[in-house]
Parts: sequence; structure tokens; C-alpha cells
Amino acid sequence: MKYKMFPEGKIEDKMIPVNVIFMNVKDIAAAGMTQDEAIHEVAKRHMEPTAINIFDMDACTTTSDGLCIEGAIVRMGASDRGRVNPDFGILPMYEFSFDEKMLETERHLIQWKKLFPERKLFRGPDPSKKIIPIHNVVISGRASNNNSATEMMNIVTMDEVLYPIIGQLESQRDGELLVGWTGETMSVGIGMTVAEQFGRVFPHPQFKAGETAHNSGPYAKTLKQWIPCIVAAKQTMAKYIIRALDCGCVPGLDIGCSPLNLAVARALGREIAFDNIAESSWAELESVGITREWAEQSLNLSPEEVIERADELLPGVEDAKKYKAHELIQEY
Amino acid sequence: MKLLHTKLPDFMKKMYVAATAKYPEKTIQIRGLENLHNAKMQSLRTGRIEKAVEEMAEREDVASIDFVVLPRVPETMHTVAVKGLDSEGNVKKVVLEVINILHPTEEIEFGDCTDIEDHRPPIGLH
Repeated sequence: MKYKMFPEGKIEDKMIPVNVIFMNVKDIAAAGMTQDEAIHEVAKRHMEPTAINIFDMDACTTTSDGLCIEGAIVRMGASDRGRVNPDFGILPMYEFSFDEKMLETERHLIQWKKLFPERKLFRGPDPSKKIIPIHNVVISGRASNNNSATEMMNIVTMDEVLYPIIGQLESQRDGELLVGWTGETMSVGIGMTVAEQFGRVFPHPQFKAGETAHNSGPYAKTLKQWIPCIVAAKQTMAKYIIRALDCGCVPGLDIGCSPLNLAVARALGREIAFDNIAESSWAELESVGITREWAEQSLNLSPEEVIERADELLPGVEDAKKYKAHELIQEY
Repeated sequence: MKLLHTKLPDFMKKMYVAATAKYPEKTIQIRGLENLHNAKMQSLRTGRIEKAVEEMAEREDVASIDFVVLPRVPETMHTVAVKGLDSEGNVKKVVLEVINILHPTEEIEFGDCTDIEDHRPPIGLH
């Protein structure tokens, strides 16, 4: 059974509180196992709290702020001391096939249509098929794998790591990763979602592009402020955001008004739906220095320049150190 | 109706009695109910739990019982009432919010033990 793992432990002063295992549907099939059997099998090999994410690299998914990307988590698990809780330890994600009608309520899916409509789409689970009421989470003992497998916790020590989906994908492709603290800007950005059916965080469409799920004014920047995070390098983020903008997506209207999306649109001089961004969103953005006046100051850079200067232009992640994924990821 | 649900203090007392009636040298520690002040406990299960406690106390290799109550579903939904009181303690304003809390599952209580008997009905088939 082949798999990769980001091991529990300290990366300098950041505590990663759980193992995070990445498995591939093709490797599981080659081993002649079901996905559930594969989760139980790797669980037995690791006694620490462990998140187990099964990927289909031929599928696609979305980020919480509306970027469409190749590769998706199709099933998530959690284990502790080798055990998987029989009721709450495994949860599959809902599978969508491309349907033009979805674009009526989910404008960001124009990226799916333009880029890879042949791919299946997976985001969160079907709420009617899960028994945990609210969170899209699996829990076994101390280990919690939350928000459709992008936010992992040791619930006993209460330590947490934020491991967004693009960071997880780059971890498996030997891309570049940043390990740092979330900081105020990322804390605000997490709330700038798009509305989705069976989404990564919310089961039904709730907070549209331009709105904030946090809706807590100056408190939003503190909600996820001091959490270790493992994220893709900013050059990678810039490429994905530019691609979304090239598909015609407008931050604040089609994709979320997260600081990252706004910063890239501003740098390129692309359209931003200023008037569709809610007052409550502006209050949170302004609390981290992102004002309408700032966002209106287009830099008119080329995509190549934005990617090259991504570390300078894209806000978020504090005290970050860059790694090649193979420096952090163990292969089994 | 008296027998359908057990008062919280009676529930606690029943467990102490079940553990120590035959074996006064054995002890029981009850955890997980500290935050409950007003609660009626399901009587049908109370009797079965008493039986489990008594049988545990009867084991020769058991010196004490650690009795833990934890959420069966490891996410609990709570109402938060933010209350403003005047100087005499009268409630002047209430804001209701909701908070969902994640908990560890039962595996954190097992240690290295592999002898685990699960008497719980499957969720949804109670």
C-alpha cells in the first residue's frame, strides 16, 4: 500500500498536532482494497492522532473562496492509536458530474465548465448521509479531521493545523510549501467564501461571493489567527487565481472577496465587484488594511510579473518558511 | 411517571451503590456530569448501567471504577444566552447564540485495553 504522510511534530516553533496521510484512489484499487479498508489498514500503522485523506487526482474540487482546481479529496478518515471510530471515523464526499444548471447558483463553477468539465467534482459530504450534525468532520479519539479534511486537530491538546486543499495537493506533487502562522489576513480570508451545495464547510449555499461567513467585524482577524498552517507557495496561489480571473470570474461576485483574490485582481488591474462586497466584509477586510481605496489602485502588472512578485504582492501567512514538499513529506 | 426518568442525584447515588454495596473496599469515580445541575436520566439505561457497574466491581482484577459520561455524538450543539443584568440581578436583555462543540470520541478512554464490550445500540436504531 503506497501512501505519503506529513508527520506529526514540530516544524521549528509550529506544532503540527496530527499526522496527515495522503492516499490515492488508484493505489488503493491496485492493492485490491476498498477505500474504507485502506483507511483502517494505514490507521493500524500509526499510533499518533492521524488524518487520512483519499485523493482522486483525476477529479476536481473548489477552494472555500471559489477557485476550481484539479485533484480532490473523495473520502476522509481519522484514526488514533491505530483505531478508527466506527460511527464517526470515515466520511465520503459527494460526487457531482458537470451540470450546467449548477452555474445558476454557483457562478464560480464557470471554471469547471471552461477548464475540465469531464472531471468529477468533490467538495464536502452529502449532509443527509452523515450522522454528525453540523461540521463536515470525522473524529476518532483525539484526532479530528474537519472542514472536509482541511483543518486537523488534536481535540485533547486542542492544537490545530490548517492545511488547505491546494497545500495538500502540492504536498503530493513535490511542490513548494509554506509552513507558517495563519495570521490576521488569513483569518479574515477564510470567511470570504462562495455559496455551494454540499460545500467543504457548509452543506447548503449560504455565504455568497462578496459576503463573509464570519460576520464578526474586528473579531474576524483573531478567529484563526494563531494556527500553524501548511499552504502552497504564493506563486502557486497566484497561478490558480489568475486562471480563475481568466475564466471570467470577478472577485466579490463570482469568487470570494478574500484578500488573496482581491490582491491578484488589483495587481493585474482586473475587475473587482466593489459594490457587491458587503459592508460586513469591508469591515473585516479593512481591519487587516485592505480598503476599497487600496483595492482600486490597480498595478496593471502582467500575469508573469504577478507570479514572479507573488511573495511581495499576495498577503497572508506569517513567519513563513518555504520548503520543497519532499523535505517534509514521508513516503511509504 | 416517577420511574421513567431518574433524577440526576439519584443516578449518581445508584452508581456509587452498585459499585460498593458488595465490595466496600472498591471505589468509583464519576466524571463527565460535573456541569449538569438539572437533568433527568433515561431510566431504562440507568438500570443497565447499574448492572454494568456492579459486574465490573465483581471482577477480581478491578480495584476501582472510572465512570465516564461523554457525548455519544462527538459534536454537541448548545445555546448560548448572553444576559445583561441590572444591579439587582434582574434580566434586562438576552441575546441567544449557538455554539457547536467538537469532542474526542470514546477511544481516548481505552488506554491499551482491547477487551471492549459495546452495549450501545447503533445510532439511529435506538
